[in-house]
Parts: sequence; structure tokens; C-alpha cells
Amino acid sequence: MLSLHDVHLTFNAGSSAEVRALRGVTLEIPAGQFVTVVGSNGAGKSSLMKIVAGEERPTRGRVQIAGRDVTRLPVHRRARDVARVFDDPRAGTLPELSIEDNLALALCRGRRRRLRFASGRARRELMRERLTPLGLGLDARLHDLAGLLSAGQRQSLTMVMAGLRDPRLLLLDEHLAALDPGTQARVLDLTIALVRRLGCATLMVTHNMEHAIEVGDRLLVMSQGQVIADVSGADKASLSPERLVETIVAAGDVASDRMLIGEAVA
Amino acid sequence: MSQVIVDTLLTGLPLVPAVVGIWMIFRLREDFDLTIDASFATGGAVTAALLAGGASVPTAMAAAVAAAGAMGLMTAGLHLLLRVPVLLAGVAMSIGFYSVDLRIMGVPSVSLVEGSTLFSGFAGLSPGAADAATIAVLGGIVAAVLVALGLFLRTEVGLALRASGVNERMTRSQGADVRALLCLSLVLANALAGLSGCLVVQADGFADVNMGAGTLIAGIGAVLLGELLLRPAGSKVLRTMLALLAGALAYRLVLVGALRLGLPATDLKAVTALTLIVAIAAERYGRPLLRLARRRLEGAAAPLGARAEAGVGR
Repeated sequence: MLSLHDVHLTFNAGSSAEVRALRGVTLEIPAGQFVTVVGSNGAGKSSLMKIVAGEERPTRGRVQIAGRDVTRLPVHRRARDVARVFDDPRAGTLPELSIEDNLALALCRGRRRRLRFASGRARRELMRERLTPLGLGLDARLHDLAGLLSAGQRQSLTMVMAGLRDPRLLLLDEHLAALDPGTQARVLDLTIALVRRLGCATLMVTHNMEHAIEVGDRLLVMSQGQVIADVSGADKASLSPERLVETIVAAGDVASDRMLIGEAVA
Repeated sequence: MSQVIVDTLLTGLPLVPAVVGIWMIFRLREDFDLTIDASFATGGAVTAALLAGGASVPTAMAAAVAAAGAMGLMTAGLHLLLRVPVLLAGVAMSIGFYSVDLRIMGVPSVSLVEGSTLFSGFAGLSPGAADAATIAVLGGIVAAVLVALGLFLRTEVGLALRASGVNERMTRSQGADVRALLCLSLVLANALAGLSGCLVVQADGFADVNMGAGTLIAGIGAVLLGELLLRPAGSKVLRTMLALLAGALAYRLVLVGALRLGLPATDLKAVTALTLIVAIAAERYGRPLLRLARRRLEGAAAPLGARAEAGVGR
């Protein structure tokens, strides 16, 4: 489904401020596989997500989604296949627009937008149908502004928006990071249910080692722009958060990362 | 008093399309496009030149709107291809098109007194009837523009246009081409300003090369006043359109009222600036002050015991 071949991403190439964010990442993720990605700050996780989403173009290498070479395609032309949930709950929704308008916008993802009403009775029914299982009462609040929702509600809404058009690839970019532990658990349950329903390939970046181990089929550890560990099945299940931290630290990361990962394990 | 209202409608209604265009950039994109000043003047210049040359009214109006829309496209091109910020691109356009407008008209000012306009058929009517007919025609055009734009903003394309100004990254991730949407918003905004210039020239009976100066600033004042009056929220498209209409008319009411009170026409620019400042201040401080006053009034009206319980006067 998702294929990265020798992908490099370098910022400020040739200058003293040169940063090699990705260094020859090669990766195959089949359809339906749920992959979690961990690594310290600067390991290349976000760069990987940006390359897959189309926000950055690789300096070298090739990206394919569903057999289509998308290396040079901008974000909006990949949206047919790719849905994304950002780390900041405010980034994935439009606070000045109603819940209905936010969902209507997502309903058009990957289709040519036309001069017909963005929302009608049938679409509102579909929206309510998708919102009801959340149990947040959002199905009765379609006309409320998205800005009135809490961070957890907004991230739940973003998850629903991501699943509206049945994407082939779901990108979750630290989407639980800004939520309190209780809300994290609820949105994580929602994530697992959504991925199960969609049956799509999923790439989830997280700083939470327990989530990285417990959720999904496969775990990637990134460090210094490379995938340094790729585990799945029994190997993944036998990992402990402490051992995962040791792996990342042993890869030569800085002291501040120990603190960050230490917090995640705690 | 009734003449103040008539004058407000006669001078305010032609400005409504420009105010809507300014709102599209100022509120939907949170940007300033000074091309509006130029496209308003060019819309007027094209209309005057064509009507004075014997062209039909529909032809002149279509050409004015198309020319102004093309100016929006040029600003979008400067922004997207040369990476010039919209504000600076607009400044360049407004300076450059002063010369273009002079070329179009040939002279700094063109009179349409003898030419055919939208309103020349009302020349034989009494002054009151002519004003009423002019207001009816302008009102019809403005209503058509507001309804059409209100409906457009509720379409799939219109929704993406509204979204792209709020959160470009999210809109892009939802599959919308934000570069195309930027072009569309600048074309529409300037086409609407051109339509206003076209209507003003026909209502006033003349075009002047300086007529666009201050249009953007006046429009922003009208937008702020309208928002203060009707408080439109993001998804309330119809209410937003009504707020823009109310804002444009309220803004003109201030100027017409100032003239009626004996203010010399030379001071109108100062009144325009003052109204803008008041509108900005009222938007920021008006609602909290109103809430405070309402609370005080409610407190004063409550019985003494209830006031003591609520802690009033402590």
C-alpha cells in the first residue's frame, strides 16, 4: 500500500545549517497494517509523516501509495488516499465553522468540488450516523461551532472526519499528545475501532511507549533519520516500554530525550 | 430625515458589492488586498469609457466586472508566482493601475450626463420617483449579488473557500487546492469591487481617476460596523451577508448624516477615518461595555434584598 524507497530529506543543503531529517528510509506497509512509530525528538518521525502526506518533497527517493507514484504530488492531490489527524486538536478542525461544515468539508475529500450544496439531508444523516457512536452528543450539535468543543471532542471529530471518505492510508501524527490521560484512552479506543472499520494501512507516531507496543501490528523505531528497528508479531508483543527506551537511548540520542521518554514510560 | 435615508441608500447600495469583496479578503483570508482600490476605480473607468463611447449598459457592466476580476487574478499571480505578499502586490497594483485608468478614460474625469446608463431612463421622472426607481434597481442588483454569493459560499467550492482562509493546512489535507482557492477569492473580491465602481459611476453620472482611493479602508469600516450590528458567526452565511449590507449602509449613514449636519465635503475623508477608528474600537470594547451596562441596569432594577444577596454594591 505505502512504499518508500531510499527516501532522503535534507533541509538547507550545502549550508552550515544543513539538517538531514531522513537518511535513506525504505519501507513497505501493506494494506490493512497498523504501524506505530517511536523515536526521540529530531529522529525523523514528523519528517516521515510530512513526506508521506506530501507536505515535504524528498530530496531523493520515491514514494508510492496504492501503486501510484506520488513523490511529486502535493498534499491535496494525495488526499483521495490519505487522511491525516494532526497532533494539535485545533489544527484538524475549523473552529469558526460549524461541526456540519467541518464534516461537509471532509466529505468532499478526494473528489472534485462542485457548485452544489456542501450539505444536504442525506449528508447530514451520514454525519449523525458517524457521530452517534462517539457517545459525545455531537450528532445533536451539528450547527454548533467546532470552536466550542473541548480538545478531546475536537480530536474525536477529526477522527470521524478522517474516516468519512474511507482512506487507504491513515496518518496519525501524535494525535493523542495534547489530550489528558482519560481522553487519550477514549480517543485511542476510537482510533482502534476506526482503523478496524476502515481496514486501511495506518501510520501512528507516538511518544507513548505503551501505546506503541500495545496498539497495532508493527513497530518502527526511528533515530537520526533512519529506521533502526522494525518489529512485529511475537517480538513486538514481548517488548517492554523500558527496553524500548533503552533501544532509543542506545541509538545515541541526547539527554533531553531521556527525560521525554522517561516521562512517557512513567 | 427621510432624505438622509434616501441619500444613504443611493450612495450606500452601490458600495455593497465592494464591501462584500473586501470581507472576502479581510475576513475569509485575514489579509488586506489594496487591489480593491484599483479595481473599484478601473471598474468605474471601463464603464465610463465604454458608455461614453456608445456601448450598451450590459456590455459596459460585464467588461467592468471582467477587467476588475482580471486584476484580482494578476494580484494572485504576483503572490503565487513571485511570492509577493498580497498586501504589497495590492499596493503595486493600485499604483500601476492609476496610469492604466488614465489610459482607459483618456482624461482624469469622464461625464456620463449625456450617455446612456442603468438609470438614464428615470431622467423624466420627478426627483422623488427617480430616487425611488434608482434605489429599486440598485436594491435588486445588490440583493441578487448577496443571494448569489450567499448560495455560492454554501456550495462545496464555497465551503472550501471559507475554510482555506481559516486553516490552510487543514483545508489542503482535505483535498482542496488552496492556491486555486486564493486565486478564486481574489478574482471574486476584485470583480465585486469592479461592479461597485461600475454602479457608482452610473449613479453619480461621472467617473474620476481618483475614485478608488480609500475604498478598502471604508469597506473594512463597513465590515466591522456590520459585524457589530448583527454579530454573524462563521457558518451563518445569510446573516453574514445581511451584516455586510447593514454595515455598508450604516457607514454611509454616518457620512450622509455628517454632510446633512453641515460638514464641508472636504472633511469627509476625516469623518471616514474617524468612523473606521470608532468601528474598530466599538468591535473591541463595545460588547463588553454593553454587557456591563446591561448588568448595571439589571442590578439597579432588582429589589434591594435580591441585590444584597447578589452582592451588588459591595
